[in-house]
Amino acid sequence: MSFRLSCPSCGPRDVNEFAYGGELAARPQERPDVRELGSYLYFRANVAGVQREWWFHRLGCELWFQAERDTRTNEVLRTDACVSETQAPLADGPVEPADAAIPPEPAV
Amino acid sequence: MSDLAFLSPSLASAVDGVSPRYRSPLEHALAGAGDALRDLSTLGKLEVRRELDAALEAGAPEVVRIAPNRTLVLCEAEAAPALAAQLGAVDVSAALAGLALSGERLMRRLTDLDLDGLPAMGAVAGIQCTVLRDEDEFRLFFAQEYGDHVAAVVLDAMAGLR
Amino acid sequence: MRLPAQPGERLDRTRPLTFTFEGATVEAFEGDTIASALYAGGRRVFSRSFKYHRPRGLLCCTGSCPNCLMQVDGAPGIRACIEPARAGAVVRAQNVLGSLDRDALAVIGKIGGPFTPVGFYYRTMIRPRWAWPYYEKVLRNLAGLGRVDRHGRRTRRFDTEHRRTQVLVIGGSEGGVTAARAAAAAGEQVVLVDEGLSLELGGLDELGIEVVAPARAIGIYEGGLVPVDAGNVLLRFRAERIVVATGSLDQPLVFPGNDLVGVMLPNGIRRLVREWALRPGERAVVIAPAVEPIVDDLRAAGTEVARVFDLNERPPKEIVARGRKGRLASVRVDGETVACDLLVMSSGRQPAYSLLAQAGARIEYDAATGIFVPRDLPANVEAAGSVAGTSHAVPNLFPASAGKRRFVCLCEDVTTKDVRRAIAEGFDSLELAKRYTTVTMGPCQGRLCHLASVRLYARETGSDEAAIGTTTARPPWSPVTLGLLAGRGHEPVKHTSLHRRHEELGARMMWAGAWRRVHSYGDPAEETRAVHRAVGVIDVSTLGKLVVSGPDAVAFLERLYPNRFVDLKPGRIRYGVLGTDAGRIMDDGTIGRLSEQQLYVTTTSTGAEAVLEWFEWWNAVWRMDVEIVDVTGALAAVNVAGPNARELLGRLTELDVSPDGFRYLDLKEAPVAGTPCLLLRIGFVGELGYEIHCPSPLAEHLWDTLLERGADLGVRPFGLEAQRILRLEKQHIIVGQDTDSESNAIDAGMPWIVKLDKEDFVGKWALEHLQERGPRERLVGFELDGAAVPAEGSQVVVAGRPAGRVTSARWSDELQRSIGLAWVPPALAEEGSRLEIRLNGSLQPAVVRARPFFDPEGTRLRS
Repeated sequence: MSFRLSCPSCGPRDVNEFAYGGELAARPQERPDVRELGSYLYFRANVAGVQREWWFHRLGCELWFQAERDTRTNEVLRTDACVSETQAPLADGPVEPADAAIPPEPAV
Repeated sequence: MSDLAFLSPSLASAVDGVSPRYRSPLEHALAGAGDALRDLSTLGKLEVRRELDAALEAGAPEVVRIAPNRTLVLCEAEAAPALAAQLGAVDVSAALAGLALSGERLMRRLTDLDLDGLPAMGAVAGIQCTVLRDEDEFRLFFAQEYGDHVAAVVLDAMAGLR
Repeated sequence: MRLPAQPGERLDRTRPLTFTFEGATVEAFEGDTIASALYAGGRRVFSRSFKYHRPRGLLCCTGSCPNCLMQVDGAPGIRACIEPARAGAVVRAQNVLGSLDRDALAVIGKIGGPFTPVGFYYRTMIRPRWAWPYYEKVLRNLAGLGRVDRHGRRTRRFDTEHRRTQVLVIGGSEGGVTAARAAAAAGEQVVLVDEGLSLELGGLDELGIEVVAPARAIGIYEGGLVPVDAGNVLLRFRAERIVVATGSLDQPLVFPGNDLVGVMLPNGIRRLVREWALRPGERAVVIAPAVEPIVDDLRAAGTEVARVFDLNERPPKEIVARGRKGRLASVRVDGETVACDLLVMSSGRQPAYSLLAQAGARIEYDAATGIFVPRDLPANVEAAGSVAGTSHAVPNLFPASAGKRRFVCLCEDVTTKDVRRAIAEGFDSLELAKRYTTVTMGPCQGRLCHLASVRLYARETGSDEAAIGTTTARPPWSPVTLGLLAGRGHEPVKHTSLHRRHEELGARMMWAGAWRRVHSYGDPAEETRAVHRAVGVIDVSTLGKLVVSGPDAVAFLERLYPNRFVDLKPGRIRYGVLGTDAGRIMDDGTIGRLSEQQLYVTTTSTGAEAVLEWFEWWNAVWRMDVEIVDVTGALAAVNVAGPNARELLGRLTELDVSPDGFRYLDLKEAPVAGTPCLLLRIGFVGELGYEIHCPSPLAEHLWDTLLERGADLGVRPFGLEAQRILRLEKQHIIVGQDTDSESNAIDAGMPWIVKLDKEDFVGKWALEHLQERGPRERLVGFELDGAAVPAEGSQVVVAGRPAGRVTSARWSDELQRSIGLAWVPPALAEEGSRLEIRLNGSLQPAVVRARPFFDPEGTRLRS
């Protein structure tokens, strides 16, 4: 990887200065049932296309920000420090900020 | 409120006539390195993790704006605790090692940063570093635990340019 | 044998030099390459081919083919045609048994042909299976490109340099020079990188253009990164605009005998004659689309031009080259045989588009010109000169003749027959066939074989070049030494402020993440004895340390940890376990309250950076009024532990260190030995202890004073190994050692930490579900009946079946027992349960111990 990201504070830098935080995650607002919790914790949209995701300027100003990146080309379309309250990060990677990530009921 | 005195090395006091000896993290690594490198570790260093009030800034000797939410203030070592209180800053004098070196070519062997866009905080010798520039002289401030590493990389890069 | 001085020749005839080839002295001039000097000395065979060991001579003279690869000063695979001749260089042939002229392995080519088609070893050398390693060894010796000295020492130094420029021009071709001049005239900062082949670079520096030569662009990577191989320095270029001017490449004709020594490409002839004043042969035949310049070059060299076939006018139907001992003797074209020692042939020129393709350009076949051309160039990337697609090429495949091979790929010795066979076997996609036949995968990277192989594919599959398309162009575009990519390789390493002291004490060091830490100073058992009987000091500066402050500081930690902190009083400490939303243990440490709105958080040594990221992340989401400052490096820390710890500390501070004045889990700020300090009374190692945090530049003073003033108390430094034994005696866990990415605080035996009655915290929902479900395994202490110590990861066996695993085990000198921690089924988590542990193949009985092995009541800790 050698693409560049523009840190909202510091400007364009080599990707190696950053830590990747994964896709945005929608942390449930209310106590989720097991299925919803599993979806939030373990299911990822993993889009082939433009994805909104978290980045941390690890070797720079240590700001968490969000980027829109095309996962096929690593082209970063935009970055901004604005963060939505409902979109929470996750330990082992986040999930899509929509209920679409909940898997369908298995066919019996 | 704690004044976090335990962060300030300059608050050391003599006991039975013995003053705690101040050890720079670069002291050992730069021994015998000649005068091409200067150890700035003993400087007072403060960090402000939010927008710094312009009125307060007037009282600070050297203010380095790194990012909107991050400012480094350089001062005399003894002045650090009082200035930290005044600016609402944290005394990071002990956290950061400081190293002055000269030569753009040498810097290009150490970092991918835009040397025309300094000061900046970014990767130098593979670690997080604040870099200041004054014509051909560069000042680096970085986590003191990397002192031996940075000194080794810089001295090695200098050897490669000889 | 040199011609008289040629206009513009590279040679400085006033500066002769010598080097050796296979031990014999070779005369050269400054400006020669190794190949040109050898050619001047009469050498015509320069290498033996990869598989069949056929003799091969100079072909391209531009570094585009494999025919002159040699071993120079120990380095294999050096292209002799572009490697400058250096005085004293030691040059050897590679891939030969004997000499270049008499290679014993040439027998493979003679008899092996029918038996060694492409991929033969996958079919013929698979039985018996155990014999493959031997086959492999034989194959490695027979085929390959040079030898690496496995015992060699680093003899060269390679550096990396980061460069920026407005315009980067790759290639000093006419197009490149024109583009560079134009950019410089427009006031742009320009760097031009050239392989050293161009003769037109004079005067550019006067225009302010920086010329880097000889140097090769390795590729164009994401984000426009262009690493340039400049010999001993890898220049990592970032440019606002990249101009690719890599020109075009002579494409060979494919006909029987096309690899004979004496068959050459036009550019090779031009360089031999014009740049090194050499006569390429005595009597030549020319077959090419543009013949005049070739004939001019040959005449200038005094070579007799016996016959010329202009492919633009009347393409022949048949070409067969015949040789004697691998060297060209005659050419038959459409029935007419001409005796010659030189055949200059070409089907035209193909743009060298690889770098453009790597940058993202689409590569398209242009039927009108017969070449692949780059289209849809990405922004900020331009093509200048013939690489843009101004050249042309004619069909280059000629019919086979009995008993003669037609080589499509010289690097890997792949013939037209091999490719046909691959297609017949079902490898009908170009990408698959490339991997099977290895066409385009050799040192030339498709420079001379790509177009020919696509044409062959098109013909054999009844398709056309446009439909077949190209294979993916990948870096490196030019061969690169691994040492250059490795660079200096300094891994960041962290040293504590007491590192010198540990070295002076002769400590055995170990890695803990990026930290160097003390394993032990001598015998770890003795170190544990000092802690149990007197007092020990250990450097714990590596602990992560954060100051969390602000009106929301407590609320912030309440949301992050399963613990409760609202009731934590200023001056008090609580053990905390940090979890993820999946309920998994992420890190642990102590949380001390400095004041209403200030908390001091410690983390594990290796988890410090991750915890800081984690805190900052959630703060970015929650936007609470809280400030997080990492003070890990600002503070050194020494844990003073043992029955004499209070006496020692009392000697160094005015603080009231009495049991009531400084209680277990108290936090104090006070000077110690004149040093401003933060003191935490905690007990990871199970004895009365104080963790003293002080500004890192003063750590040596604190350490020295502790050792000096504690001498009569039996003070002794101890390392991580002793600490691991001591904490195991107390069943204190180490996150990452006793827990893994699946462990949660409830199963790990710390349910008291988890406050499920809190409104919300990270991991609450998952822990609630875990609570409802009940534990699947539990972390417990065990002691072994015998003296043996099981390895970490050993199996726990119940009724003959694997039921769990050992995470830590040590011999405790204090308890005179082998003790450990293990994950076991919940039913066995009771005091006194019997289990077995697999140890050196046999099963060792063990007993579960639910409470700490040492001082289970914690009276020593709280004393």
